[in-house]
Amino acid sequence: MPDRRMARADLVTGAILFVLAVAMLYGSWTMDRLAVRHINPVSAPGLTPGLLALALLVASILLIMQAVRAGGLSAGADSARDTASPGGVRRLATALILCLIYPLVLIGRMPFWLATALFVFGFVAVFEWEGGGGGASRARRLAVAAAIGIVTGAAVAYTFSHFFLVRLP
Amino acid sequence: MHGLHLFFAALASLLSLQSLFNVAWATLLGIVVGSLPGLTATMGVALLTTLTYTFPAEQAVLVLICMYVGAIYGGSRSAILLNIPGTPANAATSLDGYPLAQAGRAGYAMGIATSSSAIGTTIGILFLAVSAPLLSEIALDFGSFEFFWLALFGVVISGHLTAADAPLKGYIAGILGLLVAMVGMEGIHAHIRFAFGLSQLSGGIGLIPAMVGAFGFAEVLTVMYRRRANLVSSKVDRVVPSLADLWRYKITALRSGIIGTFIGVIPGVGEDIGAWASYAAAKRASKEPESFGKGSIDGLTAAETGNSAVVPGALIPALTLAVPGSAPAAVLIAALFIHGVRPGPMIMIEQPTFVYQIVAMLFFAMLAITGYGLLLTRPLLTVLRIPRERLMPIVFVLCVIGPYAITQRLFDVWVMLFFGVVGFALRQMRYPMAPLVLGIILGDLLDKNLRRGLTLSNGDLTPFFTRPISLFFCAMIVLTILLSVGAVRERAAGLGRLMWSFARR
Repeated sequence: MPDRRMARADLVTGAILFVLAVAMLYGSWTMDRLAVRHINPVSAPGLTPGLLALALLVASILLIMQAVRAGGLSAGADSARDTASPGGVRRLATALILCLIYPLVLIGRMPFWLATALFVFGFVAVFEWEGGGGGASRARRLAVAAAIGIVTGAAVAYTFSHFFLVRLP
Repeated sequence: MHGLHLFFAALASLLSLQSLFNVAWATLLGIVVGSLPGLTATMGVALLTTLTYTFPAEQAVLVLICMYVGAIYGGSRSAILLNIPGTPANAATSLDGYPLAQAGRAGYAMGIATSSSAIGTTIGILFLAVSAPLLSEIALDFGSFEFFWLALFGVVISGHLTAADAPLKGYIAGILGLLVAMVGMEGIHAHIRFAFGLSQLSGGIGLIPAMVGAFGFAEVLTVMYRRRANLVSSKVDRVVPSLADLWRYKITALRSGIIGTFIGVIPGVGEDIGAWASYAAAKRASKEPESFGKGSIDGLTAAETGNSAVVPGALIPALTLAVPGSAPAAVLIAALFIHGVRPGPMIMIEQPTFVYQIVAMLFFAMLAITGYGLLLTRPLLTVLRIPRERLMPIVFVLCVIGPYAITQRLFDVWVMLFFGVVGFALRQMRYPMAPLVLGIILGDLLDKNLRRGLTLSNGDLTPFFTRPISLFFCAMIVLTILLSVGAVRERAAGLGRLMWSFARR
């Protein structure tokens, strides 16, 4: 990531961490001190999280200061794209969406082996489709994707349910 | 002598068909995992923890140790042939390994990497066998005050060393890990913290789902994000290095083994730093420093000996203090707890043979990587040709089913997804993952011992600063944090140079 974009990212992260630290500090301060149980006040459950939240607060302020010094506030106009990985963002987004669909949509709505087979097939097919080639080549790649999907789904489901005695989701 | 006797007894106990079979497949799997860019040792150990939880304790730990050793070694394959380290531990390996491969000496480079890894592991094993019982004895003097500082020291030093160019990010990662550990039921009054009424959160956030997310799912995303790597060569020359070559680099190997072991002992620092530190030391000591980065055998030896020596080194604090020396060692601690082994100061009293069993397991793993490295170099090359598009979905399936298998609840899958996405984002912004993981594992130790210590002293802070071991850790923490401030570091370096020039006069 280029330095100016990093500074911008640090600024945003610093702000998020600051809010998180304040929320944790508030949560720790208002946490039950178990006075009814007559515990020693120095062993209150909120003590350590409170101190850690304080440390995070200081660290987030330092991060924001560093980011501002590195030009994080003026980085808005800097739209230079990271050229280290052409097409990387698209591949990442596709992979992320496919990886979220598998546990959040597929699992639980159909037998586990089928959900796994569909996910693996979809993942391989989507990414190998980009490889180009003629119709026969693509058909062959789809067939390979289907084979990998079915074998993975069956093997994982069988191994976990029969050898590890896991009740699959 | 008693230690030696226990070691031989442990060796004998592992000489069964079942153990040898487990050593064979787990080490091979470790080499495969390590050699595939994107699959790290931590991920391998974390996934295998979920697959071996039904095994007897001894066999499960054996499998995990073999995976750990195999993966750290296996990363050298892709570092040499693809110029992409299979695991972060092999980043320094690619500096000289890849130029050697480009010069048509890939086989020789892999042979040197194999022998160096074996030497590094052996040096680390020796230190583990000798120092673990001694450290365990010292650890018996640790009270709440010392354990509090030790936990804090682990997170601070890990944050400092794994993010050397931006230590603040290392510290933030560590604090975030510690805060994650604060979720759920605390260990003194059984009060539930930050659960927001969710019953699944009252038990806390599991280390294994978090680690599978941060090291598995995040790796899948990273691999898909970056550009494809190409094999430099599919031809391999002579693999077995000559004894004369090994003898020529004996000093480098010994020095790197010692440096790697000591880096391993430092909490949460890990194999990559071990390799870099050994590499830097070898370059400083070399008569031909200009050859480093251009295919230096000296450099390759240093990097591979250094990272492999970290493995046994990282197990020294893991076993005696329950403080992991590296991220995979953190998973190993979690796995030990799953299998009813309680690492910590009491281990030499409760299970005196266990440390030597670990030593014997490492010994078997070392023999296995040597055998595979020298005999199976050519077949193992085929692994590097597997397209990432076909491998990554299978890895992700294991990332999903692995954490689910341990507790059989989908909540752990959500935890894995959360840590995967957050872990990927943090990595892109150069936040190291090791302090985060160390924070999660040390959070409970830090919390309980801070409040227990304060209760013992009735709120008096003095014992935290006056007891010798506490004072030592406290001073080290202050020094580490001060050294991460640029101006202080420059002044300290200037002072060091001045003292050095006086000393040389």
